[in-house]
Amino acid sequence: MSTTPVIDVDRLTLTYGDFPAVKDLSFQVERGELYALLGTNGAGKTSTLETVEGHRAPTSGAVRVFGKDPRDRATVRPRMGIMLQESGFSPDLTVRETVQLIGRLTERTDDTGRVLGLVDLTRKATTKVGQLSGGEKRRLDFATAVYGTPELVFLDEPTTGLDIQSRDALWAAVDRLREDGTTVVLTTHYLEEAQQRADRIGLMHRGALHREGTVAELTRTLPATIHFGLPSHAPVPPLHAKRGTDGRFLVETFGLQKDLHTLLGWAQDNAVELRDLEAGPTRLDDVFRAISAE
Amino acid sequence: MLPIARGELIQIFRNRLVLVTALILPAALSAFFIYRHDVFAAVGSLGYIASLVLFFVVGIGLYTTTVTTLAARRQNLFLKRLRSTAARDVGILTGLLLPITVISVVQIAVILSVLAVVTGTPANPLLLVVAVLATVAMMLALGLATAGLTNSPEHAQVTTLPLSLGVIAVAGWVGITGTDQLTLLKRLLPGGSATELVLDAWNGGVSVTDSLVLLAPTLAWVLVAVTLATRLFRWEPRR
Repeated sequence: MSTTPVIDVDRLTLTYGDFPAVKDLSFQVERGELYALLGTNGAGKTSTLETVEGHRAPTSGAVRVFGKDPRDRATVRPRMGIMLQESGFSPDLTVRETVQLIGRLTERTDDTGRVLGLVDLTRKATTKVGQLSGGEKRRLDFATAVYGTPELVFLDEPTTGLDIQSRDALWAAVDRLREDGTTVVLTTHYLEEAQQRADRIGLMHRGALHREGTVAELTRTLPATIHFGLPSHAPVPPLHAKRGTDGRFLVETFGLQKDLHTLLGWAQDNAVELRDLEAGPTRLDDVFRAISAE
Repeated sequence: MLPIARGELIQIFRNRLVLVTALILPAALSAFFIYRHDVFAAVGSLGYIASLVLFFVVGIGLYTTTVTTLAARRQNLFLKRLRSTAARDVGILTGLLLPITVISVVQIAVILSVLAVVTGTPANPLLLVVAVLATVAMMLALGLATAGLTNSPEHAQVTTLPLSLGVIAVAGWVGITGTDQLTLLKRLLPGGSATELVLDAWNGGVSVTDSLVLLAPTLAWVLVAVTLATRLFRWEPRR
């Protein structure tokens, strides 16, 4: 049983009327993994996530969570926590009442005080949810998702609207969950979060999985870049450097170390100053820009 | 289900608008009819007063609150939130509607008891209980169906008007004119046969078997409304 993936999506298709939101999508998430599902707007990641969570029925294909149909709530939901993109709490209930209500409905057990402390809402325990700030609502949402330390947690844009301290605290809490073996599925618009934290990334574009792999695997498919500026009297630089509209030069390369060495040697030999020199691997942002431009 | 019901009860008492429309308005109307019972009994009968107060509570209180509550909980995504837990759909709806249903039933029991104390006991109390419960079931089912056509709590003020006023009007019409003429129409309108059942139970003079036949149209309305609700009800707002 231990080899069964926590999430198994097999040739999932979702259509709204004639519009295909998701086309023939397959991916798996293994136990203990942090899998980031990323995509451009309208790529179909919310539809996919809602199907995996059990909110939506597939038009065709199969989705299994813990080997079960995710729409079988009584079986699957006690093992999973869901942080929704939009909070959906009753404004007239207090923070404590909300955590107790949703917590009890997950059928897991936990100490409400502990969960409130985890997201720094202890002092707001008796405040009505309607009076919370946007960031505080996100933290409340996170608290209800991790109540009872579930085996699987969905985090849909978890840090949107959070200040930097709350963001760090949230990721610290996620790290502790992962030490307990929790599997995490993440969507985010902050690509550096996915780049730093995800074990694997699924990149969706127009309803299909455009690329999938570790951060290194994804960024490896695009060249690394070297940027620099030159004084006006400098000779022509090597490596077919292209001059941009801002006057700075750009080198795209799959051999970053070797080409950087060549460039530095050339600068040394010609006594040329490389102004604002920058060199590095492709970032996830660039992978994104590349697929959006296609 | 019970944690949802508890949360809903807290919200009813924190939200004064619901408290006023659901509890105070029907109670005040009923108090007036009981206070002037000699006048209204002369127009119709004591059973007429009983059926009117019943439909004040289920039409203004229960039905309107059901629709408004479901529309509000859907609009702020609370329904989706509840469906993100292990709770089942039927359990969620039961939990959401249990408090207002219990409140309405208790309210009807108290008001009818007051009417009985002031004017004398009904001829067949058991039949009256059956009539009340069937009516409550019908209005809950109609509320679920109406919620499917309602986008927001504000919209509920419009969508609930036809039925909440309609059933009270039917109760008044049947209560005053009886069902000797236009019998089929009056019995088939929502609330018509339920009113006749209340009249029979309170005023007496009709055999129980004849009266029980009157349950059929009310239960048919439950069936129709539940069928409509399963097609119309949405758990998430339209995007």
